[in-house]
Parts: sequence; structure tokens; C-alpha cells
Amino acid sequence: MRNFILFIRRFFNLILFITLEIVCLVLIARTHAVQGVDLISSSNSMVGALYQKQNEVVYYFELKRMNDSLLNENKKLQERIVGQQQWERVKDTIVNRGFRASDTSVTLTYANFIYRTARVINNEVSNTDNYITINRGSADGIKKNMAVISGAGAVGKVVSVSKHFASVISVLSEKQPISAKLHDGTFGPVVWEIGKPDVLIMKDVSQEVKIRRGDAVMTTNFSFFPENILIGRVFKVELIKKNSMQRIYLHTAVNFRNLQYVYVVENTFLQEKMDLEEANK
Amino acid sequence: MGTIIKNFIRFFIIIAVQVLILNKISLRWWSQPYGFPIFIPYIYPLFILLLPFEVPVAGLLVIGFITGLSIDAFMNTPGIHAFATVLLAYLRTNVLNALLPKHLSDYKAQAPSVKNMNWTPFLTYAAFLIAIHHTAYFVIELWSMQNVGYLILKIIASTITTLLLIISYVMLFTKQQSR
Repeated sequence: MRNFILFIRRFFNLILFITLEIVCLVLIARTHAVQGVDLISSSNSMVGALYQKQNEVVYYFELKRMNDSLLNENKKLQERIVGQQQWERVKDTIVNRGFRASDTSVTLTYANFIYRTARVINNEVSNTDNYITINRGSADGIKKNMAVISGAGAVGKVVSVSKHFASVISVLSEKQPISAKLHDGTFGPVVWEIGKPDVLIMKDVSQEVKIRRGDAVMTTNFSFFPENILIGRVFKVELIKKNSMQRIYLHTAVNFRNLQYVYVVENTFLQEKMDLEEANK
Repeated sequence: MGTIIKNFIRFFIIIAVQVLILNKISLRWWSQPYGFPIFIPYIYPLFILLLPFEVPVAGLLVIGFITGLSIDAFMNTPGIHAFATVLLAYLRTNVLNALLPKHLSDYKAQAPSVKNMNWTPFLTYAAFLIAIHHTAYFVIELWSMQNVGYLILKIIASTITTLLLIISYVMLFTKQQSR
């Protein structure tokens, strides 16, 4: 026993060192999966509060740019309304009456989305996995796994929530591939190329698909995102000789460097869909 | 007593500078050459480097752990910064012993600085420990050996940037020995 105590006293520093490093490694390993970023993360209320204060200062410098982006977004929404109205006026062939969008015999609602606005109070682009902190939390109805989009396109997914803040893992992350589709419906995962905050890659697209520069890549409704949210636009197509597949490089639709406002999208049927899919496994 | 308060204040200031200013700046040494990594300069290990000589190794380890965890909380990287900082804190005493002519206990109530170490030993001390810290951090963060070149570039670029920041800190906050 005495020897043991002597041993501990002799190597106390080394033992403490190793213990602390093991604690760190456990923390790292525990959060290597996207779940459980809870305790030590920027959705932690103290950290969130500090970021909020900082954002209040920086906020004013960005107002001008934000006005522009809001205007653009308004324009886009207006266009969509116009499109909707035209579609409603499609004539029935027999009886001359218009359909309404709520007419269940014509339109099937696959998902029901609730949009909530949130302000970005912290944002990063240079890590291997990039997180965004927003100023909405469980008190505002934010839950894990909700999709986050901005006026320009797809942003990410909520990974942890505190009362007033939430952490969002952005599309710029190794851990977070997103399901995407091309103009003709070909779908596949889009991943991020590390180190470049505006480049995404869509791998293994078969050669038959004709892709041109500037083509839009949209989200599918297979994932947590609502359908047809712009992910990015093609700027380079590369033919991989090895498996004769195409690799597509995209510029992200969202400029992650000056993200200001986002929408958190709740898919009210997501849980049901996930449960059903889980039951099949 | 004074040194404790001084270090407390320095802790908060360095973390605030790191989190509120440096984390917002993503640097890139050359903008165009395709694939050159972008990175954030990490200046917070400087806090550990500047702790007084008397702090025992166990104390250094605990302080390092706390510092690392606080940065982790802001950066959403639980454990990675803490790991690198504890490693740095552990090696600090050995590096200092190797670089200083006298034994550490001979420096009463002093902290490593340019004044009592001179420029070359101080910079060697800082450069060596920062390099180890950054290597540990980026290896764990990337956690793959698929593109070693990218990893090494990232380590070197951000080590150099951090050292430049440390040099400017030292030049700004060292009192000139006049009169």
C-alpha cells in the first residue's frame, strides 16, 4: 500500500496528464457522431449569450447587405405566388372551374412545413465541421433534426438545442452529406470539400446525365430538407476515368461568409416518416 | 496575489480576443493557388506560455484543461482544443528546463518573458510548443491521413501566423527597460 502511494506521488503529474487526455479523448469520441454536442457547444446558454452580445454589435455593419438579400428574397416569393396563381387557374376539361391549391382531390400534401425565422449569431467556415449558432431555441419550438435554409438556399441541420439557442451543423461539414438531385431527377449525396467554404462535390453521377455549367442542384424530399431548395450551381464537371462516372463541383448557393438570417423549417411529418422507415429495417 | 489577478484578467482577455475577433477571421496566406487551406490563428495557448515559473505541473495541466474546454465550448469542438492544450501544458516545464541556464526554482516570482529569457530562447520556447499544440489539434480535427500535404500546410501556415501574433503581443506588452 505504501509503495502504491509512493508510486502515485512519484508519477502524479504523469497520471494527471494521462487522465486529462483520456477525458478529452472521451469527449472527442462521444461527439464524433453528430449527436450529443449538447454540453460543450455554442448552444450552451452562457456561450450563446456572449455570442448574442457580440452579434448585436456586428449586426449594424451588415444592415445594408441584409436589406438587399431581403429584397431579393421578396422578389423570389412574389414570383412564386404568381406561379401558384397561374397553376390554380388550370381548367378542368369537362367542367369549367379552377382548382384550388387546397383541393385535396387534386393536390396531395406530402409534407407540411412550418417556417421560423432566426438570426445567425455565430458562424464559422474554416473547420472540418462547421457549426452555426442561431438565436432561437426550444422555447421557440426548435427541435433537433430540423432543416435550416436561408433565402438563397440550403444551410444545414439543427444538432443541439438549449432554451434560447441552437447549434446548426452546416452543409460545410464532413459529417453531413445531403441528398441532392439534378434537373432531370438524378439524385445522389452532395458532400463538402474540406477547406473551401464555397465548393461542394456531387460524386458518382452516371455519364448519361448531361450536365452543363450553371445547372441548379436542388434538395430532394428524401432527407430532412423540404424539396427543391437550391444547394448550389454546377461550375465544373469532371469525368473520372477509373469508374467512368462524373464528378460535379458546385458553388454553394448560400454565401456562408456573410450569413445573417435563416429559416428553421419544421417538417411536421418527419418523425412519422422516420419511424416508418425505421420499422422496415 | 497580484500575479493571480493579472493572470485571471489575461485569461479572459485572451479568450475574448480569440473567440470574438480571431475566430471571425478565416485566414488564407495565398488566396488563389488551388486548395491552399484556410485557417484560424489560435493565440490562446499564449496564456499557458506566460504563466509564472512557480506553477506546478499539476496546476498547469488543470489550467490548460480549463482553457482548452472554454475554447472548445465556443468552437463546438468538444475535447480537441483541451487535448492539445493539456499536451502543451505538460511539455512546458521540460522545454523551459532545457532552454534556461538556471533551474526553474531559481526564478522567483517571474514568468517567461523576453526580459528574463532573451528573444531567441523565448521564441524557440513559443515556436516549439505552439507547433506541438497545432499539430495535435489539426491531426485530431482532420483525423485522416488522406491528404498529408494539406494537413502539413495547414499546421505550418497557422503556426507561423500564431507566432507572428505572439511576437506582436510581446512587443506591445513588454515594458521597455529605460531609466
